[in-house]
Amino acid sequence: MRNGTTLFLLAVTLLAFAACPPAPGAAPAALEPTDSGAPSAIVIFPVGAKANPKAAAMQPVTFNHVVHEKWMERTGKDCIVCHHTGDAVACTTCHTQEGKLEGAHITLYDAMHATKIAPRTDTKPASCVSCHSQQITQRDCAGCHTTLVRNARNEAWCTVCHTVTRSMTAEDMQQGIAGTLPERRNEQLATETELSRKMVTYWKATKAPQKVVIDSLAGKYEPCVFNHKSHVLSLMGRITENKLASAFHTEPATLCVTCHHNSPASATPPKCASCHSPTIDPATPQRPALMAAFHLQCMSCHKDMKVARPRNTDCTTCHKLRAPERAANQAN
Amino acid sequence: MNRRKFLTILGRAGVGSALGSSKGAEASPACFPYYPDSWGVLHDTTRCIGCRRCEAACQKVNNLPEPKVPFTDLSVTEKKRHTTAYEWTVVNKYEVNGKPYFRKLQCFHCNDPACASACFARCFSKLPNGAVVYDGSQCVGCRYCMVACPFYVPGFQYDLAWDPLVQKCTFCEPRLKEGKLPGCVEACPVDAITFGRRSDLIKIARARMAENPGRYVDYLYGEYDAGGTAWMVLAPAAGGAPVPVDDPQGAGTEFKQLGLDTHLGSQPMGQLTYGALGAVPMIVAFWPVLFGGAWAMTKRREAMAKLEQEKIIKDAKDDLAAAVDAAVRKIGETEGEGAAERARQAMTEALKAREAQNSGDGHGEEK
Ligand code: SF4
Ligand code: SF4
Ligand code: SF4
Repeated sequence: MRNGTTLFLLAVTLLAFAACPPAPGAAPAALEPTDSGAPSAIVIFPVGAKANPKAAAMQPVTFNHVVHEKWMERTGKDCIVCHHTGDAVACTTCHTQEGKLEGAHITLYDAMHATKIAPRTDTKPASCVSCHSQQITQRDCAGCHTTLVRNARNEAWCTVCHTVTRSMTAEDMQQGIAGTLPERRNEQLATETELSRKMVTYWKATKAPQKVVIDSLAGKYEPCVFNHKSHVLSLMGRITENKLASAFHTEPATLCVTCHHNSPASATPPKCASCHSPTIDPATPQRPALMAAFHLQCMSCHKDMKVARPRNTDCTTCHKLRAPERAANQAN
Repeated sequence: MNRRKFLTILGRAGVGSALGSSKGAEASPACFPYYPDSWGVLHDTTRCIGCRRCEAACQKVNNLPEPKVPFTDLSVTEKKRHTTAYEWTVVNKYEVNGKPYFRKLQCFHCNDPACASACFARCFSKLPNGAVVYDGSQCVGCRYCMVACPFYVPGFQYDLAWDPLVQKCTFCEPRLKEGKLPGCVEACPVDAITFGRRSDLIKIARARMAENPGRYVDYLYGEYDAGGTAWMVLAPAAGGAPVPVDDPQGAGTEFKQLGLDTHLGSQPMGQLTYGALGAVPMIVAFWPVLFGGAWAMTKRREAMAKLEQEKIIKDAKDDLAAAVDAAVRKIGETEGEGAAERARQAMTEALKAREAQNSGDGHGEEK
């Protein structure tokens, strides 16, 4: 799958480098090597004529090649998704801050961030953002990200990608922009950055209640016993290993605030009934009434994650009918 | 139908005044005042789960008869049921872009209710709180309201031989007065029907569209349709499917798939009718008759025994013929033969036009 002469040549060249024994006393940790032989991580500098002395405007992006390569492998994708010309060259070869003829005058910014990419006759390239924003549609993410969490692009997100180690000097930056930074130095900076990235540690379900009894509306039905723990564990289990998720889920409580929304993240969030009144308040008609608030959250997540059971209209799976109602139903 | 009563009223109020003042002073208005603070309901079909709780609640709070099929039987949503005199709201299933969705139907409580415009006995009124209510004390049973309604909402008590009335959703007007929510709204487990000021609901609908890109068709049904309605509908989006070229309002086909016509125009229905028939001034007084006749010949009626249906159609045709004759006679007496002949011709043409329209796609509720 992942082949091409250029890639092969690149691999050979890089293997030659890799064969050299590391200098004694050099940084011990290194990233796993890539299959293609390309650097495991690189810093993508805003190559162009515009100066950005201390990365004051925006830090360059550190790109983890291995992680992406592995993902390609897992999902059966091809290098050509990103290296859309078929040549394994750096993005900045054709896409610079100002844009170049070779890159059809598509600027580096657009090449990395565009979400509406015009169809091509050959392979349709993906930008970082276009591909990443697609990821939330996969089943594991869809429960929160289809309906409940609104994915407006947010300025706080920039630094998730635009980050580089403090050891980068102003000179490195200048060289990076000019395209003259030695490859080894680039890789060194990128490796350092990547190794210092920390995966978020989500709050453990063990701290939260095991079962929650929702009885504030119980009338015709018995209270609903909601297994809080198993829900948290199941959701968490799907994303703990997901690097993209943990890059953006920057808070240990990120997962919690999908349901416990519109209030500061806390281990003791307010009760749903604090905001959702039993009947809709005509003064705030946009806020669902309590019963609807529960149902909308439960049902939308189950639907979006393709949880087949229970059917939306199968009330008694979640809350049993009270005895008198049951009797009345049987009499019917 | 009490034909004599009907003709008497027609003769007295309709023809007399139409000729007297040439304005149809007794005819109901085509436009009603707009009440900015009026209530409305936003029906979000992306939320509705088709549980029929609203139907059950409506039956309960309005003391309607028990249905033949219990409300727990959800299979009936597969049929395209219609509102009747005893079922003021029904929830039906529709396939929208290959996925199942549900839509609740009830009176839309139009800003300019066509039912009210069509009723020369003035049984319907648009209240400042938004409800379109019916008072049957003057009702002659002509059922013009049923024909005029672009959504085929009002139902007729066909089963009552004595003084049958027209029945439809009241917006739970008695409950609203007490400060309670409409029964159906209160019962909905997912807030698929949101109650609020109509002006707020429009903003809420827009906010939902903006906050959930790709979830909704960018069109709020009822904001302007049929002159604007108090109950409005949001439809699920196809996800980037292009809007067909023949769709000037950009509503896409989703509403059509949901059984709603987006081509009712933004003018009050009553006004349109007046416009078409107003070409011959004296006809104004008769347009309800024309409606009635057209209605009879349209075979798109709710479930009735075939025989019964035929009988009703025949009755209505007779009524129509008699009414036209009576009108022409009256015009002849007061205005001379020429005018009478012109009137007959105009009525016949208007009738044909109406019939043609009805056999096409004249109504909001598509079958
Ligand atoms: S929906 Fe029909 S019955 Fe209801 S107000 Fe409008 S015209 Fe009248
Ligand atoms: S508003 Fe009242 S009358 Fe109308 S459908 Fe709802 S419950 Fe029935
Ligand atoms: S109660 Fe609500 S969800 Fe259920 S069918 Fe009626 S509108 Fe839809």
